[in-house]
Amino acid sequence: MTQQELNSKKIFEEAREAVLRQHTRRHFLKESAMGLGALALGSILGSCGRGSAKQVSTILYDPANPLAPRPPMFPGKAKSVIYLHMAGAPSQLELFDYKPELAKLDGQECPPSLMEGKKFAFIRGKASLLAPQAKFAQHGQSGLWISNYLPHFSTIADEVAIIKSMTTDQFNHAPAQLFMHTGSPRLGRPAIGAWVTYGLGTENQNLPGYVVLTSGGNDPDAGKSAWGSGFLPSVYQGVQCRSEGDPVLFINDPHGMDRDLRRASIDAINKINQHQHEEYKDPETLSRISQYEMAYKMQIAAPQVMNINDEPQYIHDMYGTKPGEVSFANNVLLARRLVEKGVRFVQLFDWGWDSHGTDPQTALDIGMINKCRKVDKAMTALILDLKQRGMLDETLVIWGGEFGRTPMQENRELVTAPFKGRDHHTDAFCIWMAGGGIRGGSTYGETDEIGYNVISGRTEPFDIQATILNQLGFDHEKFTYEFQGRPFRLTDVKGRVIEEILA
Amino acid sequence: MLPVRKILVILVLILVGGLIYYFSSSREKIDYNTQVKPIFNKKCIACHGGVKAKSNFSLLFREDALKPAKSGKYPIVPGKPGESEMIRRITEKDEEERMPYKHDPLSKEEISILKKWIKQGAAWGEHWAYIPVQKPDLPDVADKWIRNEIDQFVYQKLEEEELKPSTEADKQTLLRRLSLDIIGMPAEEKLVKKFLDDNSDKAYENLVDDLLASQRYGEKWTSMWLDIARYADTKGFEKDGGRTIWEYRDWLIRALNDDKPYDQFLIEQLAGDLLADPTDAQYIATGFHRNTVTNDEGGTDNEEYRTAAVIDRVNTTWTGLMSTTFGCVQCHSHPYDPIRHDEYYKFMAFFNNSRDVDSEEDYPLLRHYEKNDSVEVARIKDWLNQNATGDGPKKFYTLLKTWEPTTTSFERTDKYDNCELRDTKWLMLKKGSTFRMKQMDISDKTYLMFRYLGYSSDGVLTIHLDSLNGPVWRTINVPEAKQEHKIYGVNVEPVPGVHDLYFSFFSKNLKEDFTGLLLDWFYFGQQFPGKGKPGYDTIYNNFMLLLNKPVKTTPVMFENSSDLYRETNVFERGNWLVKGDKVEADVPKLFHPIQKSGTKNRMDLALWLTDKRHPLTGRTMVNRLWEQIFGNGIVETVEDFGTQGIPPTHKELLDWMAWQFMNDYKWSLKKMVKTIVMSATYRQRSNASDELLEKDPYNKFYARAPRVRLSAEQVRDQALFISGLLSDKMYGPGIMPYQPEGIWNSPYSGEYWKQSPGEDQYRRAVYIYWKRTAGYPSIMTFDGIQRDVCVARRIRTNTPLQALVTLNDSAYIDMARNFAYRLQKEVNADVSGQIKKGYELATGHAPGENELSILLTLYKNALDKFNADEDKTCEMIGLNNEHNNPGTAALVVVCNAILNLDEVVTKV
Repeated sequence: MTQQELNSKKIFEEAREAVLRQHTRRHFLKESAMGLGALALGSILGSCGRGSAKQVSTILYDPANPLAPRPPMFPGKAKSVIYLHMAGAPSQLELFDYKPELAKLDGQECPPSLMEGKKFAFIRGKASLLAPQAKFAQHGQSGLWISNYLPHFSTIADEVAIIKSMTTDQFNHAPAQLFMHTGSPRLGRPAIGAWVTYGLGTENQNLPGYVVLTSGGNDPDAGKSAWGSGFLPSVYQGVQCRSEGDPVLFINDPHGMDRDLRRASIDAINKINQHQHEEYKDPETLSRISQYEMAYKMQIAAPQVMNINDEPQYIHDMYGTKPGEVSFANNVLLARRLVEKGVRFVQLFDWGWDSHGTDPQTALDIGMINKCRKVDKAMTALILDLKQRGMLDETLVIWGGEFGRTPMQENRELVTAPFKGRDHHTDAFCIWMAGGGIRGGSTYGETDEIGYNVISGRTEPFDIQATILNQLGFDHEKFTYEFQGRPFRLTDVKGRVIEEILA
Repeated sequence: MLPVRKILVILVLILVGGLIYYFSSSREKIDYNTQVKPIFNKKCIACHGGVKAKSNFSLLFREDALKPAKSGKYPIVPGKPGESEMIRRITEKDEEERMPYKHDPLSKEEISILKKWIKQGAAWGEHWAYIPVQKPDLPDVADKWIRNEIDQFVYQKLEEEELKPSTEADKQTLLRRLSLDIIGMPAEEKLVKKFLDDNSDKAYENLVDDLLASQRYGEKWTSMWLDIARYADTKGFEKDGGRTIWEYRDWLIRALNDDKPYDQFLIEQLAGDLLADPTDAQYIATGFHRNTVTNDEGGTDNEEYRTAAVIDRVNTTWTGLMSTTFGCVQCHSHPYDPIRHDEYYKFMAFFNNSRDVDSEEDYPLLRHYEKNDSVEVARIKDWLNQNATGDGPKKFYTLLKTWEPTTTSFERTDKYDNCELRDTKWLMLKKGSTFRMKQMDISDKTYLMFRYLGYSSDGVLTIHLDSLNGPVWRTINVPEAKQEHKIYGVNVEPVPGVHDLYFSFFSKNLKEDFTGLLLDWFYFGQQFPGKGKPGYDTIYNNFMLLLNKPVKTTPVMFENSSDLYRETNVFERGNWLVKGDKVEADVPKLFHPIQKSGTKNRMDLALWLTDKRHPLTGRTMVNRLWEQIFGNGIVETVEDFGTQGIPPTHKELLDWMAWQFMNDYKWSLKKMVKTIVMSATYRQRSNASDELLEKDPYNKFYARAPRVRLSAEQVRDQALFISGLLSDKMYGPGIMPYQPEGIWNSPYSGEYWKQSPGEDQYRRAVYIYWKRTAGYPSIMTFDGIQRDVCVARRIRTNTPLQALVTLNDSAYIDMARNFAYRLQKEVNADVSGQIKKGYELATGHAPGENELSILLTLYKNALDKFNADEDKTCEMIGLNNEHNNPGTAALVVVCNAILNLDEVVTKV
């Protein structure tokens, strides 16, 4: 080999090793790989399955400061994301997908041709169609159809884009939620918030970059895996902030230790660590010193941001918040506060939308109306509040469930259900998005007359993920992470940016 | 004559020319692995590899690359670069023709390498990791620093890099390092004293031996293995309910403490159930592959999750035991390494015939009969040996121990009329329900048994042959069983052949629409032997009583009998719903074959894996041991030895260790660990200098010992030990130490975290109850993994949330308090002396003046505060506590600080 060749081979090898090594070894990349990292990592990694030898780029984060803000691949419209997930899957047929024809067919048996070969969680054999339980009207200048279950939300029709042609291939809650948030129905992949904080870092080092808030009495069915870091370093996993107990686990000093004493003890720890560094010269020690500083600052910043008492009354009125409660409304307000403070990704899960009709809570009338009342005002307030603060343009808001619900009424175990409910449905559901470069007052996609199948604009979770990444400035096909010998993507080998709803 | 001479001259010239050419080019013999393969991987393989073979041209296998491509032309003609289409295309001027298409052309040097390589015959080279281990020659180096063979390899590399090894660390440092590495926590006082008092040359080795003999050794290395085995105490999805499989964790601890040879260790875990007469322990070992997640959510497709579990077993076996990224091959041939798509499914076939089916109950289960029951079991065994023939004794004993082979009610049934699978878990029958059970071989079946809940007192189950109107095979009056499941058996008449069985259920008293029967499983077998002999009734009754008894169980592997055998097909593009060609179990051609005709099973697989010819098994394990001890593997990508992994830093050393491990050490892990820690390489100081940081920032060449943050388990175990709280109680169900409220919040789950009483909450981290969707917070914060899938190595991070754990977690405050009490009790000196001792307990050596004065200042600062504010003292210590005084409270603050020091959470 010529010298030049040897050199280029060496650079190439080093760059590749740098990528692999950053997963393992904590070191300072500044001198070694930062500079040449970007040049060579392309075709070495080769993407899995799609396109011809696609160039993929790998983020070289600085392990000494893994959450430091980093620029995206291209200038994105949005800087942060608030994802509102209604765990259990709300019925699109009672909210956004207006189907007058279904009302006419109420009680009639669903044509067997529609049922053949389909898998349902609970419907077996025959089932009859069930009319929409809500009343629909057109709203705003755009004339979006929204039901009377969401009177507040109807007033902001012109701010949101509704995707009516969502589909998934998972008909059970946990896998479907994982698919929505991690791009795979199995356990073990990073959630979208982990990808985003890995790619962008976060603006405020005194708060976690990726925060999760839950309401409705339970964690989502997918559990903490819905905000796990999968194979990414654990620093990118979602941090659950809580309304009861410590707002962030272990954020409060132990009883009997005031702030001054904590300061003194961290000073002592860091001074000794400084000596330690002088002796061993381990860069990791320096990193630890700065992590303890950050922890101290986080102890002040996190409880502050989690305390909504300082919000003015008109804000509480707007959101319907009551300090001290564990509620979706409080969480929505917290989401706004967190984003305002520079948190990159806030994910809310509200549990209890599984309208099977087995009891009043899961009935499409009683239970679902109650759930809507608990979210309608707050999610509307979120959009209006972000707008009045001038933050809506750079905050992407997403609302949706993990799948849809059947146009048929659910009858379980061959008994007519006591309440009106619908089974899980993978072939049609709705998601709305707003802010962050989304065109308000738009809809995308259509379903057939009874809302059973998508007839145009078929959209998958991968497309939502691709669109979110796009709005943040990432090409989802190039945004990869090397794991077990393979470059992984959030969108696997699929995904399309839904250009039709972009401003 | 002239023409002949001319010809001769020409011939000679040709010969000489050829020789000259031959020698000149052979001087530059091209190496496939280091020169050609990197060009292919970088420039060609994305289009002409395992994922895609554009124009029918793939470079992965030589046999494929030498075939004509779609155009009919030969891409590579060995010996003839001029005739090789590949060379023409990479040198083509026309951009539409030139390869790589729409990318920069290859460099002149690259083209020249490829030309020469073809000229020289286009030989494919085997990647180092796929060549069986040979014993390498020891490097010819000498230095007084060298202690064993490891050092010879390391020293040779150091010389090449112009680096000098570091001197040996002091005794205290080595003591702490060895303890953390071998037993995962500080050594007990007795060993410390023995070592420090021992001034002989053997002191170090004695300590190593003592540590290897400690029961704590098995606990430490089990923690490592649990990540590979993706062990957890819950099942995974949604409610993430509990799974009782801790017997497997305990099996590991015992096996490692007993130093079970690694080949045996693997054989039992992969195929313990297929040993001649498996013991309970050998069954339990197979829990390894029963740690897969299962989905109990209502209405799931059980076959989907069974398949997912089988795929996970394949991936875990390769990632964890063979450092190969096999997951790629699930969808297409390996993009870089020579493994074909269908070979994935041939390998999957080894795992596709275990009896588990994603059932709620986690079948198959080993049933543990304890105390009197075990005596009864022995009695039944005797009876069986006396009264049954052939494999009869084993069959009935297995049935008693495992309830196998049984068929769950959702497996082979269909044509449900007026009945359905509740939650897709159990078959629910009502008045007038009928269903079919497909293709059952009943030619030798004399006994039918089933497990169920029965809600009517007059339920009758009728079985017809071949159609609903077919002849009645058996009518069964089903006893009521409302509270607890019942296993009920009846005699049946064997009928030759394979039949569809049609079941119908009727009950006069049952109301319409009410559930009459909830079926769990069926067993088709033979009557209990010895009928008519004295004592039969008693023994048979006891057999049925034991079978029905709710006992402790552990999920294990169990192989399908021939009538339940599953075919295996290729999944097109990895999609389990799109089945391709049928395949038989086998291993990839890249490796040594399994020499056996007929169907191969998991035992054949296990024997193949532990054959010394296997190039990966030994290397993978010694690399993993090295990684545990040095922080990084010799192959840093512990999970990937393939061409895309990081190449080994010391390949000969890796091979030497693998050779020793398999041959001289007969797969003894303890001997391997001992050799590593006995080396001078291991004993060096870990101090870096600016020069060393410059020359070898990642410590690839080991001119110093590594400095590595402790694992999540070590952080906790060490802190408990220092504070004097650590309990040495071993084994048993997962423990629940202090955890803040509200961590467990799964839907549909009544399970909750119940803090363990007494010493149980202070046991080692390896025993902590591991819930997949809500891991123990402090473990997860320190880079613990969820254990949903096999993760071959943890990625170490350094975050503020880790600081918050050791600063503020009540569990750590509790430790700091007890640490302080311990110092006050044990150290008969002033505060300065107590702090000194505390520092020593935590780091292994006395604090310098600087450190001591910093901590004393903190103490005084805290003391002033507590003196000024009694309430704060009380808050720190707790009311009604003998330790409730400002001095103790201040010492707690200092102890909390000590537990947070870099030197304490780091192995130095």
